Amino acid sequence: MANKRNTFLLIWIITAVGCLYGFLKYASPKIFQMLMAKDHPMPTPSTLMMWYMIMGVLAGLVYATTSNQKFVDFLSFLLPDRGPLIKSFLRKILFIGFPLLVGWFVYTWAIPGAASPVELRIQHPTLPQEFEKLENPFRQADAETQRKCIEEGKILFQTYCRPCHGSKADGNGPFANSFRLRPINFKDPGTIATVVDNYLFWRIKEGGPGLPSESTPWDSAMPSWKDDLKDDEMWKIIMGEYDTAGVMPRQREKLE
Amino acid sequence: MNNLKIVQQFTKRSVFLVLLLFLTLPSFLSVTPQIFAADVAEEPAKSSESSAPGVELPQFETAQPPGSPSLAESQPAAGEGTATAAVEEEELPPVQYRTFFGLDSRVVVWIVSELHLMFAAFVLGVPIFAVIVEIVGFKGGDIKYDKMAKEFTKLLSAAFATTASLGGLLGFCLFGLYPEFMGHMTNVFSSTMYVYALMFFGEAFTLYGYYYSWDILKGTAAKKWFHIFLGVLLNLFGTGLMFLTNSWATYMMSPAGIVPATGKLVSLYHAFYNPLWMPVNIHRLIANVCFGGFVVGAYAAVKFLGAKSDEERAHYDWMGYVGNFIGVGALIPLPFAGYWLGREVYSSSPVMGNIMMGGAFSWTFIIQAILIGMLFIGANYYLWLGMGRIKGSERYTKFFKYLIFIIFMCFAVWLTPHNLPLSGEERAMIGEQYHPFSKYFGVMAAKNAVVNLIILATFFSFLIYRRSNKGEICPFSEQGKAGKIGIFSGLIFCLLMLVSYAISLNFVELEENIKAFVKPLILSLYIQSFTVGLAAFLTFKNRGKLGQALLFAVTASIAVLYFWYYGFQVMQKANLVLRYLSVTQVSIVMSCLIMNATIDIFMFRKAKLVGGIVWGKMPIRSQYALILLCVVIVILMGLMGFIRSGLRMDWHIYGVLQDTSQWAYTPALSYMGRIVGLIVVLFLGLVAFVFWLANLGDKKEKGALTEEFELTEPHPEHYKKYS
Repeated sequence: MANKRNTFLLIWIITAVGCLYGFLKYASPKIFQMLMAKDHPMPTPSTLMMWYMIMGVLAGLVYATTSNQKFVDFLSFLLPDRGPLIKSFLRKILFIGFPLLVGWFVYTWAIPGAASPVELRIQHPTLPQEFEKLENPFRQADAETQRKCIEEGKILFQTYCRPCHGSKADGNGPFANSFRLRPINFKDPGTIATVVDNYLFWRIKEGGPGLPSESTPWDSAMPSWKDDLKDDEMWKIIMGEYDTAGVMPRQREKLE
Repeated sequence: MNNLKIVQQFTKRSVFLVLLLFLTLPSFLSVTPQIFAADVAEEPAKSSESSAPGVELPQFETAQPPGSPSLAESQPAAGEGTATAAVEEEELPPVQYRTFFGLDSRVVVWIVSELHLMFAAFVLGVPIFAVIVEIVGFKGGDIKYDKMAKEFTKLLSAAFATTASLGGLLGFCLFGLYPEFMGHMTNVFSSTMYVYALMFFGEAFTLYGYYYSWDILKGTAAKKWFHIFLGVLLNLFGTGLMFLTNSWATYMMSPAGIVPATGKLVSLYHAFYNPLWMPVNIHRLIANVCFGGFVVGAYAAVKFLGAKSDEERAHYDWMGYVGNFIGVGALIPLPFAGYWLGREVYSSSPVMGNIMMGGAFSWTFIIQAILIGMLFIGANYYLWLGMGRIKGSERYTKFFKYLIFIIFMCFAVWLTPHNLPLSGEERAMIGEQYHPFSKYFGVMAAKNAVVNLIILATFFSFLIYRRSNKGEICPFSEQGKAGKIGIFSGLIFCLLMLVSYAISLNFVELEENIKAFVKPLILSLYIQSFTVGLAAFLTFKNRGKLGQALLFAVTASIAVLYFWYYGFQVMQKANLVLRYLSVTQVSIVMSCLIMNATIDIFMFRKAKLVGGIVWGKMPIRSQYALILLCVVIVILMGLMGFIRSGLRMDWHIYGVLQDTSQWAYTPALSYMGRIVGLIVVLFLGLVAFVFWLANLGDKKEKGALTEEFELTEPHPEHYKKYS
């Protein structure tokens, strides 16, 4: 192998991993704050932080062991030699710093503190089978009727849904801040655009109390509307809601 | 005393014991009817208790004939003796469930079926590449390939008996523990069951014929071709068997051809060719090859680690390389087949689709993402380490850091879930439903983009691997007719694939406002077609490397960057177009792989060699990478088996026959992890034992490998062909 030896490989990898940590911890919250025009930073969730850091370390180790020479170079930094003074200095920093870093991690994990538990969330609760075959009766109507339904639905949406989900269906209603889990932003392409509209019908009709027993505990403040709204009104709200959010419901596909 | 003698003695004693058991069975059976009759009386009570309240079960014509006594009526009065119960036996309704010595019936079936499927995957996957390796050896005149193909088949014949035994056990478990369900299945599929049994004979005869005639059918080209024909026949029987059983499994997920309310069979064809049948067939076919490749790779790695001579190390290093090559080769199209299957699951039932990707099973897909990421990283890592044994590879090692960066970045996006585990404080700080990382990385548009980039990066690793010991290339104008025909064929194939799909997209039946979203896809396909043509043109002008680079750049720009962005647009406005978008994405990436591989093969065909490959000169950690790949694919198979079966939730046959047993609940992740872990350990233990048995007879063949790797003469059949 004609490659040049790099006896500082270990330090380079540690620096790269450190940069990744700095990016996730300090830079990305500020970058997202600027990009999304928020009035507060968007901190990287601890779960993602851990996963990405594990992958960063793993990537460094994979790189360091892709050849025998690299592996020897990687480890050689730890052995005393007659190299430059800076190497000896960095080695001492590493020998002192690494146990301190481990100690700091252990300390921060072990120190008693109050924190709410981390929840493993499920995006789409299982739709009960009795709702699977339902179809919005107004979707097949003529264009004029559909337009009327959408307009009626928008009014109903503003009456019943706006306080939490917001007038633009972006999850920023006047009550939104009072919930621990904010109401869903329907404009997000990963929310109502990914489900068929009878799924919404089920959510509106049964609300939080009607969520299935599996994957509990659910964290939903959505009320059940079955005693206050008629089925037709709910279908119209769904049409108005999609129109307000500017997205389309998932459509059933033909089997190939 | 050698191991062979021990096994022979063990076999003799086993035969004696089996005979003894067989002789005592009649006397045992003469007592058992009374015991069984007493037990049966209690069974209906259990099943009626376990039925979910308020659930109306479909009444199957054969399972419960009209006029049969109700469950309550059929209960014997308390204190009734066994004699009365035996008299009333004929009037009892069919038993719904039984247990296996009090164990959880579902877990019993789960473990046995998964073990059977894993062995079956090996038995069906390995012959596909064993025959290909044999043909390569025969056509190329390299005896090493022939020997390796035979070694693959040796493992196969040992695993086949285990597969059959597990299959029998699974059948007994199903008929014994789930009689009502199996009654329904038998009603629908009884005629195909006989075909299955007959085809099993075909597979057994061709497999053993293929293995034991290996040395007999040597000497002439005609004999060798006949032997290859036997191998092809073996594959046909094996694939047919798998397709047949797949129809039973997929019928449980997407039943068709019956009257749902009564379970009466209307059309066997539709029950057999149900909506999920073909997607599962294709997915399993590719996955079996991938599975077989990685298991063979691990076998070679274990042999390499225990090798005592350089020749042995060289042989098993080469075998491990071939296993990894096959595994990765099949792994590349696997995400596409998996995506197709996922889409069809969604199409057959939006409920199942939601459960799968966004519901109770969504976290299992995060585990799947981690495992697939590990497979790609492990396979690439093995290739990079393998370049260490090739003189001249140092020219390409500079690419490693970029490849590692790309693959790990993609892996990070690939496993980022849409819904994150968050504490209340984190939720408050983020201030909305999704963190931007999960919002932009967590949806399918992002995942499809990065998996395509991982595939392109892995393919690039392969290209630099095969170029490692090749130096100055021969100008394309001197490549002769073969080069021109090869490039031209590749070009035509890619153009046909791309252009025909682009034309077909013009005729999709969609509303006008949605159809507008299809136009960019058509344009992308034409741009890719033009680039493929340009790459071929540049190759003819001796600028093949530039053509390849151009093709990589355009493919990554369209299939990764543009479709990542465009996927979001389509998700919001026209989800029906997602299906066409993913096929377009796959076609573009596949055309890049095919055309680049074709150019590379013919561009470097007569290149000067910088140095040879020193087989056996591999660091030990590379072998552990191969073992890791095997363990990961076994875990992955166990996990995906759980997902596919679990999606039916509390239904034996989705929407038709409900599971009313006490085990009709979806297991929690930790429980699933423990059972899948147990299955993985059992499979690896069994496979190690079976391979050990298969190798017992080889102890005296020491020194054969020396001959193989010292042999420079072509295959004997090779002479005959050209004489």
